[in-house]
Amino acid sequence: MVNPILLIAVPLAFAFSIPLFGLISKRAGRFIPPVAMLFNLVLSIILIPDVLESPVSVFLSGFPPPFGINLYVGPLGILFSAVIALVGFLVSIYALDYIKEGAEEKYHMLYLALLTGATGVVLTGDIFNLFVFFEILCISSYGLVGYLGNKAGVESAVKYLIQGSVGSAFNLIGIALIYGQFGTLNMADIAANINSVSPNQLFIPLVLFIVGFGIEGAIFPLNAWLPDAHSSAPSTISAVLSGIAIETGVYAIARVTFTIFGASDILLFLVLLGLLTLLAGELSAFSQNNIKRMLAYSSIGQMGLILFALGIGTDYGIAGGLFQFINHALSKALIFLATGYMIYRMGSMEISSLEGIGKKMPVSSLCFTVGAFSLIGLPPFAGFPSKFMIVLSALEKHSNLFIVFIGIVFLGTVIEATYFFKVIQVLYFKGAPAGVPAEKKTEISPAQETIKDRGVITGAPIAALIPMIILALLIILIGVYPKAVDEILNASSIELLDRVKYIQGVLR
Amino acid sequence: MNLAQLILISLCGAFLTYLLGKASSRIRDTFAVFISLLLIIPLFCLYGKNEEITYYSFLGLPLILKITPLSWLFAIAVQTITSLSVIFSLSYMKGKERLDFYYLMLLLVNTGMLGIVLSADLISFYIFWEIMSWSTFLLISYNRGPALHAGMKYIVMSIIGSASMIIGILSLYVNCGSLDFVQIASFIPRTSSGYTLFILILFCITFGIKNAIAPFHTWLPDAHSEAPSPFSAVLSGVLIKMGTYGFILFMYTIAGLNIIINIGGGSFHYLISILAAITIIFPTFIAVLQDDAKRLLAWSSIAQVGYIILGIAIGTGLGFVGGVFHFFNHAAFKALLFLSVGAVEYRTGTRDLNSLGGLIKKMPITFFCALIGVFGLIGMPLTNGFVSKWLIYKALILGEHPFLAFIALFGTWGTIIYSYKLIHNIFLGQLPEKFSNVRKAPVTMRIPVIFLSLVVVVFGILPGIPLKIIDTISASFGFQPQDIQIWGIASETGVLNMVNIFAAIFAALIFVWLLFLMGRKKINIAQDDSYAAGAYVPKDKYNYTVDFYKPLSGMIKPYLRDFVDDFYLWLADVIRTFSDKTRKIYCGDLGYYISYIVLFLAVLIVLKMGLKIW
Amino acid sequence: MVINILEIIISPVLAFIIGIFFMGLFRKITARLHWRYGPPVIQPFLDLIKLFHQQGFSHGPVFDLGIIMALAGSIVLILFIPFGGICPISNSGGLLVIIYIMLFAPLGIALSGGEAANPNISIGISRKLILALGYEVSFLLALLALMTYYNTISLVDIVEAQDNYKWALFSPLALSGIAYFIIMPAMLGIRPFDIAGAPQEISTGPAIEYGGKYLGLFNIWHALSMFVYIALFVDLFLGGGSNPLTFFIKMLVVFILLTFIHGVFPRFRIEQAIKYLWKWPVIISLSGLILITVIR
Repeated sequence: MVNPILLIAVPLAFAFSIPLFGLISKRAGRFIPPVAMLFNLVLSIILIPDVLESPVSVFLSGFPPPFGINLYVGPLGILFSAVIALVGFLVSIYALDYIKEGAEEKYHMLYLALLTGATGVVLTGDIFNLFVFFEILCISSYGLVGYLGNKAGVESAVKYLIQGSVGSAFNLIGIALIYGQFGTLNMADIAANINSVSPNQLFIPLVLFIVGFGIEGAIFPLNAWLPDAHSSAPSTISAVLSGIAIETGVYAIARVTFTIFGASDILLFLVLLGLLTLLAGELSAFSQNNIKRMLAYSSIGQMGLILFALGIGTDYGIAGGLFQFINHALSKALIFLATGYMIYRMGSMEISSLEGIGKKMPVSSLCFTVGAFSLIGLPPFAGFPSKFMIVLSALEKHSNLFIVFIGIVFLGTVIEATYFFKVIQVLYFKGAPAGVPAEKKTEISPAQETIKDRGVITGAPIAALIPMIILALLIILIGVYPKAVDEILNASSIELLDRVKYIQGVLR
Repeated sequence: MNLAQLILISLCGAFLTYLLGKASSRIRDTFAVFISLLLIIPLFCLYGKNEEITYYSFLGLPLILKITPLSWLFAIAVQTITSLSVIFSLSYMKGKERLDFYYLMLLLVNTGMLGIVLSADLISFYIFWEIMSWSTFLLISYNRGPALHAGMKYIVMSIIGSASMIIGILSLYVNCGSLDFVQIASFIPRTSSGYTLFILILFCITFGIKNAIAPFHTWLPDAHSEAPSPFSAVLSGVLIKMGTYGFILFMYTIAGLNIIINIGGGSFHYLISILAAITIIFPTFIAVLQDDAKRLLAWSSIAQVGYIILGIAIGTGLGFVGGVFHFFNHAAFKALLFLSVGAVEYRTGTRDLNSLGGLIKKMPITFFCALIGVFGLIGMPLTNGFVSKWLIYKALILGEHPFLAFIALFGTWGTIIYSYKLIHNIFLGQLPEKFSNVRKAPVTMRIPVIFLSLVVVVFGILPGIPLKIIDTISASFGFQPQDIQIWGIASETGVLNMVNIFAAIFAALIFVWLLFLMGRKKINIAQDDSYAAGAYVPKDKYNYTVDFYKPLSGMIKPYLRDFVDDFYLWLADVIRTFSDKTRKIYCGDLGYYISYIVLFLAVLIVLKMGLKIW
Repeated sequence: MVINILEIIISPVLAFIIGIFFMGLFRKITARLHWRYGPPVIQPFLDLIKLFHQQGFSHGPVFDLGIIMALAGSIVLILFIPFGGICPISNSGGLLVIIYIMLFAPLGIALSGGEAANPNISIGISRKLILALGYEVSFLLALLALMTYYNTISLVDIVEAQDNYKWALFSPLALSGIAYFIIMPAMLGIRPFDIAGAPQEISTGPAIEYGGKYLGLFNIWHALSMFVYIALFVDLFLGGGSNPLTFFIKMLVVFILLTFIHGVFPRFRIEQAIKYLWKWPVIISLSGLILITVIR
């Protein structure tokens, strides 16, 4: 059996070796992330059958937990690492052509670091390590948001940095409090002893964790950094931020609340928070004219939906929420990638400037449509089974309150559908006659602005099309055949709910 | 060929059409016609069969297709109208942009509709329903310009309907444990009537929206008038009838006749009937005010759907048979009218009733077919529309709903008013100079139109053919079987013998014609000779089309604004304003952002410590 | 069978004779009311013979077809209306069929006139259809009251139910009967409702392009429709007739009353007519229908 530690070690090593490769050839650096991520992807997939059989707990430095640092590769972890690797791999292929200018090497290095951080977060079994990997993720993303070096990018990176740091500080305080109370940092160990401390004393660290991770997880009202950061980052980074980074934040919340705190009494709070986030995100996106900001707000809404699903607290509900994780990672990444070249070709992020692009960039537009349909939850795309599961589990509560909640969720869906369909109409049916160059808007594009000739608008290059097509096919495949992810989703939701098993798995 | 293969062929046919279009437009056109006509044959062969197939398992739920007499009838109607629409499209759409996409979506809509009527479990029903909804959206938006607004209106209402439906479906699943129609049908009688009502209302919202029952009708006038004409025919002919199918399915297959009649003390089906009556009366008179031919037909569709629902909801066998037959008839004559108007639009480039006129000289076949369609719409004897309306009226009168019957009958007079306006302003009156070079419609446009006219007339004279089928459906739902003969209906409280009526009218026509021949020979003179006594007439100035019913419209216009639509638009505006306000939260000022975080933390702690919320 | 065929032939002929007689009588009585002498009673018949010998002119196939359809519709209608026991094909459909066959005539005239493309005709048709919308409300309410009261849609059954002097006009249906009578001038197109064919305004409207045999057919149609509406009233509210003679006498009484109305009233404008028709007759017939639903 392969050691899962490689999932973290290999990309990290690759990340830091990029400058070395840079010595050989200036172009070599860009090929490193795909290789590393492909490795991760293959490794994750190889590990899945083993992990489903029995979770793997690996400890480093020779001491068994709770004393040593350990990795806990359960179904949830491997699911996330596979998704991260998949999205990371595809986005990095896209980036081969997309990222051409600026500090290219640093981009690739930070990119790999970000993904490594995310993988570490989902695999670690130690709360301090969780914090460390989380910091790796956050700090790389601060850098990447400001990658273009223009005013908007730097400004939003700084804002993101400050808010993220506040969150980190809260997390650290939370960890300190936990350590003070339990004397251990191993999550399983804390979980095992959680009942030895009065609930009141647990409350403060719990709230600190929710707030701290919630900032990265885009929970309302902690998500103010997100629209700026998403819209001013390059599209590849937006895709990864939206598809991976913020989901990792929500993962951390889930892990902390469910596994460590066994938080059955704050479930309703999570549900409410999720609904609030959902509504805030969708409403903000509704009247947005900037496509990337719109997508960013939509991500907020989706995180709300996931939080809602997790808050339902039944295994089916959590499985639905995790399904929505997968769906959102694939779809939102796909949409961001599709819009990447549209924005690049048109030179503007205004939705109105994308008029008639469906004819000039048919594949990108089609991929956008697939992603949008999937996010709305239309069959036969991946969003349908996930939404299906979430709503079903909410109704299984047999409570009128949850019927009202479902009503609110669908209000969000209707709003989401409205703005997505509006964009689809703009792409396909609103158009300047072919051949007329698009009017150049005054707003500065975050993508490389130096391309002179925008007169001829062509489709995206092949390196960009392949990942998009793969993502779109995956979305349809999962939508048509949700059984493909069924087993791992169920195992993951059980992992989150069944704390005893988790504790035993680590401290055996 | 089993049902799953049928759907699969339909689906693959759609995509294959798209791919073939990349190679050659001729092959694509031929193939689209071929595949849509081909599917009629196996569908036809399925008559009377009772086939059921579990074709897939989705999230542990079996997906089932099944053919019942009801679904057979709907499937045949769907496939026929789509085929005719595809044939009509060949010349209508020629030279337009993105035709591969157009045919793909048209055939995809067809697949969706076939899937809906063949589904035997709610989850396949929902999946096909959604596929139909979004592909319809793409087709409605196809024409650009104002079509975009129409498309948005459609899809927003449609999504609301789907949301309502999926809540209903999942709630049923949670409570019943299965989504198979049979299982649910056996579950419903065991549950409380309050819950049944809840489920029924949820589904009525969905189907009401698709069916354009007041107050959910507002998407339809825009969508029908802005969609490409061949698709308008599909839209009005069969697509909105998917709502009708849903109504029948839920009221009679799933809930069952007894429950529908008795639930809420009988108020439920009566309430639906009243809504249907409202749907008849207001749209009929709004249609009178329209100046756009397709918009007029669109409002008329809403009104006619009101008849269908009225017949179905009233809860008697006669009404049910009439309602379902009216669905079938409306599919025929409304598709016919949309296609005719499409042909006129194709040749003249306009569908503005105020600027057309006199086209009978140029497009005689289209005129006669449109006339038959209009007769069907009015319900003139010898057309199928008459028989179905007769059944509905009779059901209402004998069911002692004289006021509903009055509304239905009075709606017919409104129908005459707007139908005559349609025929007069397009085909009769004086021919404006600019249309003096108009040619007759191309042959691929005439074939569907002629075929549909034949359907209207043949089933008007021999209504027994479809009525027999419908009667078996209604009997299977527990209604009293009717005494259906090939020539009409025999019953004690009023007979209808269409063949006799046909013979009488035919004989009278012959007689009068002979009388006509007996008189001195006529001569043909130019249209304006006797009016102007040979003097020059500026034709365009003497064409009485603008504001044809001026005295009437002046009186009724103030009362006939679409207040519901205004309300929805206002609501959308409120949401937009509200969303703008929400967006202000993300003001861009870092100080605020940090204070959000800190405040959030503080609030949580205060709630916990101070108020002991949890 | 033979009797049936005989009836089929006889009833239109009878209707034609009565209708033409009424037309002549109509002109005569009106003239006397106006202190004129008036034409002889058989004048309309003489006119018909003359018209069929004059040359007519046509504007196209629909122009011919429309008028033929209108007249044929009226003839079929007569076959459905019991005339003092003569009712050849009433077993093929009831009142609902009658309501619909009534549409043939106005639609036929409208189509025919439409093809003629004379603005006066278009205006006339527009007015006629609007007027019909006006009186149709009360007409339908009255018919529905009848059908609800007797719980049948068969006209023959309704007539039979009124046997032995149980006339509907002297039953709870009286209100409906009154409403029906009030709207009858509008149905017949006589004053105060001769708006559609107003000779002084739009030169007889729909009839303006007709000459020769076309006008002849138009006049026959007019005579038949006069017969139909009055006969329908007699059947519905005055208990029909046990034999054609009593039926005819009842018709004559109703007809003369209507002619008096025609003789003394001026013409409404179309808006006034609609307002009037949608007010009083509707109130009366609606209360009639409500009464029926309550007492049943």
